[in-house]
Amino acid sequence: MSTTTLSHDEAHHHDAPKGWKRWLFSTNHKDIGTLYLLFALTMLFLGGASAMLIRMELFMPGIQMLDPDLYNNLVTNHALIMIFGAVMPAAAGLANWMIPMMIGAPDMALPRMNNLSFWVLPAAATMLILSFVVPFFPGGGTQINTGWTLYPPLSVQVGMSMDFLIFAVHLLGISSVLASINIIVTLLNMRAPGMSLFKMPMFCWTWLVTAFLLILVVPVLAGGVTMLLFDRHFGTSFFDAAGGGDPVLFQHLFWFFGHPEVYILLLPSIGVLSHVIPAFARKPLFGYKSMVGAMLAVATIGMVVWAHHQYTIGMSLGAVTYFMIGTILISIPVGLMIFNFIATMWRGAMTFETPMLFAVGIVLMFTFGGLSGVMLAVVPADMQYHDSMFVVAHFHYVLMPGAVFGLFAGVFYWLPKWTGHMYDEKLGKLFFWINVISFNITFFPQHFLGLAGMPRRIVDYNMIFTEFNVVSSIGAMVFGLSHLLFLYIIIKTIRGGKKAEKRAWEGAKGLEWELDSPPAFHTWTVAPQIK
Amino acid sequence: MRIPEYQTPELRRKNVRLAWGLAGLALFFLITSFPFWSGIFRVVGTQAMQ
Repeated sequence: MSTTTLSHDEAHHHDAPKGWKRWLFSTNHKDIGTLYLLFALTMLFLGGASAMLIRMELFMPGIQMLDPDLYNNLVTNHALIMIFGAVMPAAAGLANWMIPMMIGAPDMALPRMNNLSFWVLPAAATMLILSFVVPFFPGGGTQINTGWTLYPPLSVQVGMSMDFLIFAVHLLGISSVLASINIIVTLLNMRAPGMSLFKMPMFCWTWLVTAFLLILVVPVLAGGVTMLLFDRHFGTSFFDAAGGGDPVLFQHLFWFFGHPEVYILLLPSIGVLSHVIPAFARKPLFGYKSMVGAMLAVATIGMVVWAHHQYTIGMSLGAVTYFMIGTILISIPVGLMIFNFIATMWRGAMTFETPMLFAVGIVLMFTFGGLSGVMLAVVPADMQYHDSMFVVAHFHYVLMPGAVFGLFAGVFYWLPKWTGHMYDEKLGKLFFWINVISFNITFFPQHFLGLAGMPRRIVDYNMIFTEFNVVSSIGAMVFGLSHLLFLYIIIKTIRGGKKAEKRAWEGAKGLEWELDSPPAFHTWTVAPQIK
Repeated sequence: MRIPEYQTPELRRKNVRLAWGLAGLALFFLITSFPFWSGIFRVVGTQAMQ
């Protein structure tokens, strides 16, 4: 980031509207960002509660408390709530708050569409929750027992709750695409004078790539679930072999969305790390342009390797070889990002405040998740690991550190800027350690369970798997409850605390740190000049 | 957003034009997910059966 000449008049701003209208009709990027973050936090607890129920059931062999179909419904909803309800909206919340401040824009390019993007979400969440609740009512049909992948023919046979889920996916997709369009237009058209693309903060770059990915793959998922809807109600047979269709087609459509979705979840957190690590290592980010290149490579390759999720469907040797090589190739640009982070830390004057602890934790644990990903990419090995608890352990090691911990790092890093108060550092560190240790206790044993042959998405298991499941469940309870501490820290910080300075962190760089903490309702009323 | 510098008709037109372009791209992917991808995957599927 280059130096700036600040000429904005921060006194010139309009007061924030009062009452509920401020939130319902908001076109202010900071307010909408706050709404996104609060929504994501709510869904995090909802998804977390379903995960804790899952782990309670798996505490011991035998059916403890959940009907098998209800268990499968919880598995389905846990994934959908966490991915579409928690992680994506949280990343969108960070984007809304930070992108205009980082690029010197007064707001998002299309503020009213920004309002729409958010307010579609509660409607989608209602549909999603209804899909879970409806089977409990008379005539509500069967539980959704497909998992988040919604594979036919099972998803064609499920009761009306599947229709709620399909519409929820449609609404979530509309929200994501609208938000992505807004972010791309903002980043391409609203940058301050002098801020070329290669002077743009890395968080903005990660969101530019993420937004393009969303625009390219979410419509394909929408197409897939629309065909599913037609198969269910309008007599088509896109996925019905008896009518000339092919159920495997849905798997291709789903994973054409589903695999890039992993990078959609990861990249914004990589963007957060690209700010946190330089700030606390007190060094510029190592290899800015190579990071951008790596990101573009990850996005491009990530779009064309989807079928590594489907090795067992019986593809030709040529096809699986292609998908295997392509998948393994992704580890090169991802590795480059990790090495850039390590090189940034190298010989830096590092301090370990909570955001940096999360950043270092991510580098270690995400790398571990990536390595088990390389194992899964290898076709003959994957034939053994497929649909086992090893896969569950793998993707939680990728998505928790890679996406969620990155978001935690971002929240702790920017919380002083948002609230004007420093959070309680001792509590922040305590949260980190409880969170990270319990995460590892939960998911590390699942590797062994998978290697020993325990299948995933199953309510009961053989007694030989008991010990590791007991350990995993105890870890999960601590892990789940630890998020109450996170909530407490946030509430405490909002309510008060040590006053945050403009530049809350000594090593922080970027336009956002030139603004007051908290920033005025309208910021950058005059565009900053980037030299 | 009530800042004259950012309320020029040119910028607004530019923003809206780009937004429609991106929406068109999303629509293209939505529509082609029906015939195009199904055709591609049918070929892959046929090969897999051989």
